Amino acid sequence: MNSQTHETAGIAISASQARDNSNRAPMRMQDEKIKLSVNNLNLYYGQDQALNNINLQIPEKRVTAFIGPSGCGKSTLLRCFNRMNDLVDICRIEGEILMDGQNIYDRNIDVAELRRNVGMVFQKPNPFPKSIYENVAYGLRLQGVNSKRVLDEVVERSLRAAALWDEVKDRLDDNAFGMSGGQQQRLVIARAVAIEPEVILLDEPASALDPISTLKVEELINELKNDYTIVIVTHNMQQAARVSDYTAFMYMGDLIEFGDTDTLFTKPAKQQTEDYITGRYG
Amino acid sequence: MNDTVTPAVPPSIRSRSLLPDTEARQKLRRKRARRDSTSRWGITLAGYGVVFALAMIFIYLFYEVMPILRGATVTPEASYALPVQDAGLQHLILERYQELGIQYTDDGRVTFFSADDGSIRHEFELPIPEDTQITSFAHTEVIGAVSAQGLSNGQAIISRHAFDLSFPNDQRVITPKIEHPFGADPITVDPEGMPLEFLALETVTRGSGGSLMAAITADRRLVLTHLTTRSNMMTGETTVTTRHAEISTVPEQPVKMLLDKALRSLFIADQSGFIYYYDISDLNSPRLVDRYDAGQGSAITAIDFLVGTVSLIIGTESGELSQWFLVRDEQNRNSLERIRDFKPHGAAITKITPEYTRKGFLAVDAAGQLGIHYGTSARTLFLEQKASSALINAAISQVNGRLLLLDSQNQVQVAGLWNRHPQLSFSAMWNKVWYEGRANPDYIWQSSSASDEFESKFSLIPLSVGTLKAAFYAMLFAMPLAIAGAIYTAYFMTPKLRGIVKPSIEIMEALPTVILGFLAGLWLAPFAEDNLPAIFSFFILMPVMMLLFAFIWSKLPIRKLIPDGWEAALLAPVILLFGYLCVVASPWIEVWFFNGSMRQWFTDIGITYDQRNALIVGIAMGFAVIPTIFSIAEDAVFTVPKHLTQGSLALGATRWQTVMGVVLPTASPGIFSAVMMGFGRAVGETMIVLMATGNSPVVNFNIFEGMRTLSANIAVELPETAVGSSHFRVLFLAALVLLALTFVVNTIAEIIRQRLRTRYSNL
Repeated sequence: MNSQTHETAGIAISASQARDNSNRAPMRMQDEKIKLSVNNLNLYYGQDQALNNINLQIPEKRVTAFIGPSGCGKSTLLRCFNRMNDLVDICRIEGEILMDGQNIYDRNIDVAELRRNVGMVFQKPNPFPKSIYENVAYGLRLQGVNSKRVLDEVVERSLRAAALWDEVKDRLDDNAFGMSGGQQQRLVIARAVAIEPEVILLDEPASALDPISTLKVEELINELKNDYTIVIVTHNMQQAARVSDYTAFMYMGDLIEFGDTDTLFTKPAKQQTEDYITGRYG
Repeated sequence: MNDTVTPAVPPSIRSRSLLPDTEARQKLRRKRARRDSTSRWGITLAGYGVVFALAMIFIYLFYEVMPILRGATVTPEASYALPVQDAGLQHLILERYQELGIQYTDDGRVTFFSADDGSIRHEFELPIPEDTQITSFAHTEVIGAVSAQGLSNGQAIISRHAFDLSFPNDQRVITPKIEHPFGADPITVDPEGMPLEFLALETVTRGSGGSLMAAITADRRLVLTHLTTRSNMMTGETTVTTRHAEISTVPEQPVKMLLDKALRSLFIADQSGFIYYYDISDLNSPRLVDRYDAGQGSAITAIDFLVGTVSLIIGTESGELSQWFLVRDEQNRNSLERIRDFKPHGAAITKITPEYTRKGFLAVDAAGQLGIHYGTSARTLFLEQKASSALINAAISQVNGRLLLLDSQNQVQVAGLWNRHPQLSFSAMWNKVWYEGRANPDYIWQSSSASDEFESKFSLIPLSVGTLKAAFYAMLFAMPLAIAGAIYTAYFMTPKLRGIVKPSIEIMEALPTVILGFLAGLWLAPFAEDNLPAIFSFFILMPVMMLLFAFIWSKLPIRKLIPDGWEAALLAPVILLFGYLCVVASPWIEVWFFNGSMRQWFTDIGITYDQRNALIVGIAMGFAVIPTIFSIAEDAVFTVPKHLTQGSLALGATRWQTVMGVVLPTASPGIFSAVMMGFGRAVGETMIVLMATGNSPVVNFNIFEGMRTLSANIAVELPETAVGSSHFRVLFLAALVLLALTFVVNTIAEIIRQRLRTRYSNL
């Protein structure tokens, strides 16, 4: 077990080093435009506190990864950005999350509109029991778009954006369940992209996929960051190192360290972070 | 965790296994294998047992229904020469115990002979006056056993044969006798004393109608003679009063005359194929109403009434058989209508012999064929060559168990007969049938009556329509409530409230339906009749009320005190209060809009209103069906995977959009199967419909009229039917139809449920 984790970290580091070699300018937080800003966020499930006083800035049109061991609160934090936690009855939130300066927990925020603006892709591909076409068109229909011409165009554009168009263009009317897991996940991303969100939240998007599908999804994330602010939760550190520009390490509901990915993986500031990325935690 | 780094476990501990030893494990394996195979066989056996039990139910029902499909069987028993051959045969009869045959001959003799071998048992001479001959013969309906001999002096002798039963040495002995209900003296039919060439006779056994004779004399006059008897209380003597009347129009070449039992109509068939219909209800002015071309170019060779003397069966020279009876039109005029045709014999019909207690008859023809037909069902149950020469007469026993056939060689054949269910056929049960005395063909269920001449009406349409009507209104009431309730409970309601609501509704299913039926029939039906506006305003205004309340609630500042998902609890007092207001306002609404009584108002605008009607059944059975639909539909909605609804919400859908766009389409097979289950339940439901429908077998979908369902019909009629009778079998058929219907509906529901399950396994 131990040796395996060592190896993983090794690959992660070499991956980020490989990217360094591609002559890209290092990321610096102070240069970024901030999209989402989390201020003093506390989250409780009933009596239990799941997030402790989180403060975090998520830059626009960058990929930000949340890493950490299972149960550290990274998914919970992700779900705060589109208020999915509202669906949990016993969940209570203190503090604020600003999106472009506007608190999304404000009383007069329309949650449905917020969620249109902050798309989300789940761990397990969850296409609806409809055709491929209808899956992508669903979000638009919710917005009252029913023109066939508009839908056709958006469906094609979204599927192209999700690098799925060539694979499914001849069977748009087939049931979405006929696709492979990787295709389904990209379909779900296409579905999220179709309604033109500004932020896309990815909750362990590749954990249920095989390595080749994972690779395709990662390539897609790399493409999408040109247009969208992406927040990704992953327990796979290689993946975080490969796809993200910034990484937040969380542990037991605390945000331990946040910084640009290269720095965090090569020169972590906190002992806990180093222990985790070198595999000293389970 | 660290064992790969430090493999420091002492070898001694490693080698000592804590598992049971090999032998014990072997034993355990055998035991487990035994248990596995026992449970496998046990479950398999039980599964097949269920299938077997179901199959047995089907087979038993089929077994009880099968005899319906059987035609008639005629088993030849003996053949012998006609006992009396030195005089012309007028009438051949087989009595009720099937032992004696009776022969009326034109020399005034009545001969009783053994039906088994033709040996003569008794012989009677009728008191024919000197110097007269018998010129004509007539008999009443065979069951009355009265016959009359018309004489050459214009008089007639009326007699009746009867039997005394005695049981010396425990053996049945039948002693025949001849009676004279109007006295032994001849009765004057033609006051002018001309010979009576044709005669008809009918007596009314009930009431004081008396008897009527019609005769055509040698000089072609049609005379009617009405007889009333009065018996002296002291002496027991009977005095006979006669009245005479005459009709001028007489057919040229009459074949036979028939009088109906109501003494209102006289029919005369002539050789040119015409039937003359006379209205003789008023003896002071009897008149010819019309004549009908029954033979259509072919001469009428045989004609007789079916039992009840309503239907005429006409046999022609070309072998065609048709049934006719009087149909009353809107102007209250009767006309003779050709009702139905039977399978033609292809040879001249020589004699038609009606059955005694059913609407069936025997027909024999010149080619020696015997046909057994049935009126109502238009079935030909038997048609076969029985003699090499022409058959000229036939007799059937009162219990339809034996028959006599006479051929032109004067040979009598006696044969056993099995003909139990002639009145049932596919078309008699499922198509419109023109029943006697009806203006039109119709679907009617009327299985029994007090009268022997009654025509059983076994149309399953009224019952099937009633079943569907009850189920339809129950579903109309239950479906929206149950499905909407299920969606709300599964998707919007707070888990705490759901934990109370769902089991409560499911417990409703255990409520005995007899209680629901009892409440519906004895409390709700009269209540609804008195408070009709309350019922309607409740149903129509309640949704409006709910929306209004929802709107007001959304504006109230205290709204935040109650979390989402408790809305249903808030609505309960509103519904109760509104229901109470509806009842209070009901009399006022009646006064303002319906002239004081809504029920009367319905009657005035031409809508029939029964107290026990489809509205009551819809509500009561709706309550019985709601738990079934609710429970399955709720499960279907609740088991829609959370990641689907979350996926939809994450795309910016509102909860309502998620319900309509994702939850309902995904749960729709489950909801459909819930509806089918509920429908199956409503179709098979018995106690509620039995107690709250009024059980009138009508064919309509009027919400204010009752109905009779298949299941209630079985419950009502099976206890009072004779085992093995046609009625009994048709009830089993109804049971089979019901079982098949629920079986099909439930199977469809189950198939859809299975498909739903495989569909979810993909998600």
